[in-house]
Amino acid sequence: MPVAAATGKEIQLAMQRLWLAGRLLPVGARLLVYHSFRSSEKKALEVIYAFGLPRDAALRRFRVTGEGFSARSELRPVEEAVRAYEEGLEQGHLAALAREYGDGLVNLTVGNIRPGETVTVALEILAGVEAHEEGLRFRFPFTLAPCYHRQARAAEVSAGFGEIELPEEEFGDLILPRFAADATHLHEVGFDLRVKMPGGVSEVGSPSHTLRVLQEDDASSRVQLGAGRDVPDRDLVLDVRARDGLAGVLIGLDHEGRGRFAALVPSRAFGERSEAPRQVVFVLDRSGSMEGAPIQQARRALEACLGALAASDRFGVVAFDDRVEEFRRSLVEGTAESRREARAFLSGIGARGGTELAAGISRAAAMLGRAGGDILVLTDGQVYATEEILKTARTTGVRLHCLGIGSASQDRFLALLARETGGVSRFLTPRERVDLAAVDLFASIGRPVAAGLEVAVEGIAGGRIAPDPPQAVFAGTPVILFGEADGAGGGSLALRWDGGNTSMPLHIVPSDLGETLRLLQGARLITDLESRWTGIEEPGAVARREEQRVDRRLEALSQAYGLASRRMALVAVVERVGDQPGELPKTQVVAVGMPQDTRFDAYFGVPQPTACMARAPVGGGALSSLSALARPARALFSRLQATPQPMMQAGPADMLMKMEAGAAEEPLELEPSAADTLLELAARIEPDGGMPGATEEERVQATILALLAFLAEGHTERSGAFRSHVARLVAYLDTVTHVHPVVGGIVALARQGRPLEGDWARQSPGPAFWARLEETLREGEQHA
Amino acid sequence: MRARAQWFSLQELAAEAGLPARTIRFYIARGLALPPAGAGRGAAYSREHLARLQAIKRLQAQGLMLADIARRLGGEAAETRLPEPDAWWSYPLQGDVVVWVRAGLSPWRTRKVRAVLAEMASRLAAIDEQEEKAKGDGDY
Repeated sequence: MPVAAATGKEIQLAMQRLWLAGRLLPVGARLLVYHSFRSSEKKALEVIYAFGLPRDAALRRFRVTGEGFSARSELRPVEEAVRAYEEGLEQGHLAALAREYGDGLVNLTVGNIRPGETVTVALEILAGVEAHEEGLRFRFPFTLAPCYHRQARAAEVSAGFGEIELPEEEFGDLILPRFAADATHLHEVGFDLRVKMPGGVSEVGSPSHTLRVLQEDDASSRVQLGAGRDVPDRDLVLDVRARDGLAGVLIGLDHEGRGRFAALVPSRAFGERSEAPRQVVFVLDRSGSMEGAPIQQARRALEACLGALAASDRFGVVAFDDRVEEFRRSLVEGTAESRREARAFLSGIGARGGTELAAGISRAAAMLGRAGGDILVLTDGQVYATEEILKTARTTGVRLHCLGIGSASQDRFLALLARETGGVSRFLTPRERVDLAAVDLFASIGRPVAAGLEVAVEGIAGGRIAPDPPQAVFAGTPVILFGEADGAGGGSLALRWDGGNTSMPLHIVPSDLGETLRLLQGARLITDLESRWTGIEEPGAVARREEQRVDRRLEALSQAYGLASRRMALVAVVERVGDQPGELPKTQVVAVGMPQDTRFDAYFGVPQPTACMARAPVGGGALSSLSALARPARALFSRLQATPQPMMQAGPADMLMKMEAGAAEEPLELEPSAADTLLELAARIEPDGGMPGATEEERVQATILALLAFLAEGHTERSGAFRSHVARLVAYLDTVTHVHPVVGGIVALARQGRPLEGDWARQSPGPAFWARLEETLREGEQHA
Repeated sequence: MRARAQWFSLQELAAEAGLPARTIRFYIARGLALPPAGAGRGAAYSREHLARLQAIKRLQAQGLMLADIARRLGGEAAETRLPEPDAWWSYPLQGDVVVWVRAGLSPWRTRKVRAVLAEMASRLAAIDEQEEKAKGDGDY
């Protein structure tokens, strides 16, 4: 039991348990979150639990239950709801209020819990998911990420507990939780969810929690927390693989008999990727919260992406914390030299200050200039006042793609940042291979498979899509479309884009999904609209009118869908025998765990000052970790540069694995895996698509070896995270078939996506290479 | 001339102070603001309570955190009117050079200050080295 430092008394938890239940569908989730509050006070208790909404989420209603009572919430305009709560409290009644502030943050306040009493609030939440071609990723916040704001004050208020305070003019009376460096004595968390995919679930996994998965029937599985109990120090992340991939239409009728549908259109339904040259700026978050695994991962990811650039591509790199640094003032071409220099720039980037994301984005957009282009942001997204940042992003007119890294979700914000600008996003935990995800994401950036997308409903009365479809479609990210119609009926969804069109049949019949689809659409519309509400008093009549317009629209949406928003809150008051009017309850705020992988001292507390600052202190402290971060990367690349003909003696993979073994201690020890090897290879591809080497013959041999390594791991020109790199290797080999007859055979093999038998990772270029290759190819053909 | 004593309910106090009632309850629970006089229906807040809340707002605007304000204003437990201690970190850069930095700075400010101190420390160390060398070369 934790003990209060000041009094020596045991701290009793005001919230004992947080339990997640509900249903997960291909287009979103309908959740029920149980909060168990218990009072060990001698007088009335008021508890405040602060949490963040998942992506595309809205609160629907809650039920507050206890011994002898159960009451449902009502949806009221915010001021009314607060008044009802306060009046109820004043009368001594039990009262509960769920109110949403900016940045998708919510305060659930329950007041007048009696001594020794347990009260449960079951809160219904609608949430979106991150859709991929093969399935989806679902994320639910069990803790809150502390974030940066220029005017935020953060400090360690008692041993191992930090607090953040935000300016009231901007954030209102939002109360943030205390952040505990050690989550072991906090409330218990758990979950029990049903996952339902129309074609069936082939696999459920989680990078965050241990799972117990039970197959219920063909279409659904039940997913529970595998361990006995768990603590609130990270989000729940669930990956669901759908047996038939994520494609199709969900249909139903809502409670008013209106037709509702949600369509998932895979990216492969659209055209081929364009191969036009790209203009991309990489924006790297190097703020203090990224220290450790996140920034290591992000840098590796960036370096891998550099390897996918062609000489005709132009790129820039911006690193930001509360200052912005650029690799070069303007874009440079993707030549070997500029890529080398970019890597050198990156190797000196360690985590340090605040997070001025808007400044980083603005600088990147300025670099792209009038010609426009794409921006890839790598960040944990831990910032407040996200609506301001979204506003800045929208005005740049460029597409932002986000690779989020973190164990506590800023998924909602980063998904909005990408979507509002026409880009795509992924959110990973720092314990995953962020570099692979970045390479995968980067392969699609700047090359939409469809642009100018328009969707219409044909053949069904009153059929329409809302919200509008994305302007551009990217490989790997399916399009989710929500819509409605006057009732049941049969027709089609007509999709048109620049240079192409397709249609999908749409038959709306009653099902048990109608209401859920309606609510998911509402949650999505509210989220989109809220991203435009800054809540700050903007000067100027035009700005104020715009804000009032958004206010009114938000209230109308809330009313229409019966969902809470920043303008409408949920409140319930329970009158009971024995209520004491006028008694002042004691107010307690529920503490949450510091998210795993974010260092406590990145926000709170000061590292111990040391006697002599001239030498980097051994272990601990910001200075030492900075140098530790920089060292391994520098060692690896400087050695590569020192040996101008690295391909002479050893095979590419072999050489690199030796180097990795020699590199200094990496804080995150990863066994050199196949993926690591592929990343190293990818990073070394020259702008013309071939591997480096002293002579052309050596280059061709090295390129073939690299290509075979990719093929062996299942990457082809069209599929796999490294598809861009494979395509470039093949394109290079196509230009050098004169070097040796067997090259043509390899190109043909690669085009078919077939791997070649043999441990090519251990082979090296040399005179015997061609003979060995020919022999293996011949054997392969004989067996084919 | 003394102002007439005036008693507020929590709602009235909230309106006067320009703070939500929930926030005031939160402050009271933290020992930052004073609890009401009396209890139950008879509980009431006076001008003193209002003054206290206004002081909290003023100090917040100056950049202090609630924990610091609580110490500064003296919580429920404060019996005496001792001036609140300020917390400072001391960085002994050399035997004869010590730099004091206020505690409780934002982490970002702290990092900047430490970077400058590191520079200072290494320059002092360089001076030391030079002097050592000079000493070795002859009379100092």
